[in-house]
Amino acid sequence: MKPIVKIALLVVVLIAIGGLFAALYLYNLKPRDLQKAKPHFSISADDFQKAFNENEKAASTRYINKIIDVSGTIASVQSGEKNTFNVALKTGNELSSIICTFHSIKDTTILRSGNQIIIRGVCSGFLMDVLLNNCVVVKSWK
Amino acid sequence: MKRLIFLLILPCLVVNANAQKYMTKNGFIGFYGHTPMEDIKADNNQVASVLDISTGELVFQVLIKSFHFDRALMEEHFNENYMESDKVPKSIFKGRITNLSSVDFKKIGSYDVTVEGDLTIHDVTNKITTKGSIEVISEGINANSKFNIVPEDYKINIPGLVRDKIAKSLEVTVTMKYSPLPSK
Repeated sequence: MKPIVKIALLVVVLIAIGGLFAALYLYNLKPRDLQKAKPHFSISADDFQKAFNENEKAASTRYINKIIDVSGTIASVQSGEKNTFNVALKTGNELSSIICTFHSIKDTTILRSGNQIIIRGVCSGFLMDVLLNNCVVVKSWK
Repeated sequence: MKRLIFLLILPCLVVNANAQKYMTKNGFIGFYGHTPMEDIKADNNQVASVLDISTGELVFQVLIKSFHFDRALMEEHFNENYMESDKVPKSIFKGRITNLSSVDFKKIGSYDVTVEGDLTIHDVTNKITTKGSIEVISEGINANSKFNIVPEDYKINIPGLVRDKIAKSLEVTVTMKYSPLPSK
């Protein structure tokens, strides 16, 4: 075999292996750990709810799929299926809150009604409440 | 839809009566599909649902983007390629318990129910009928159901290349823990 063919073959094989690893890496990629991420927006629970309540379309365009730091007071904590926790943050509207879902949280002692907290999550949109997913605690006051 | 739920709630806030309507905003709906290549599994813990025990009416709604996958790429494909969640952000079920008389909401216990109604996914509405159970507990009402749906029925286009990788039918699990709506 000519050296040039050998090199070409080697390159092809290397690219194929690289591609395979890249594909495997992408395939196995876990949901982003927001603890290490920078938020796109920081907003109070009340302002966040108002934004969706007053103009859902504009708020959706602005906030959905974005990383948001929301500050507020915990209204309630509910444990869900498969070790999830839903924390609702108080807003000025009694019927509507910010619901933040934690998929893996180790220390749940800080999640108590009445506590002040800043939660980071990805905004999924608005049903009756503004919904955040993949949430982590940024800061909490007991 | 949001208005509809508020309209359902409104009488409860005004009328002073025993709770007729039960509600949750933390309900669970998950789905699971198995193929030789891989398992597809996603959970949604942000289901909003109202159950009216006087009429047996049930409403569920979910945001598609609230479905959580273990694999980030699968979640991205689910939203962008299959469910088109930017265009169609919500899924809704509106139906009722057809054998309401066999449930005694005053007595703690578990009851088998049949639910039928309209399931709207990806802007396509189909009639479905499914079995489930209603569990009356002291704090409220639990509701559970398992049924299968076929993505094709909801015009969810799966390209030929990956069609065999994706299960033809997905098992949907519904777990609700309702609380009575506050009646002052």
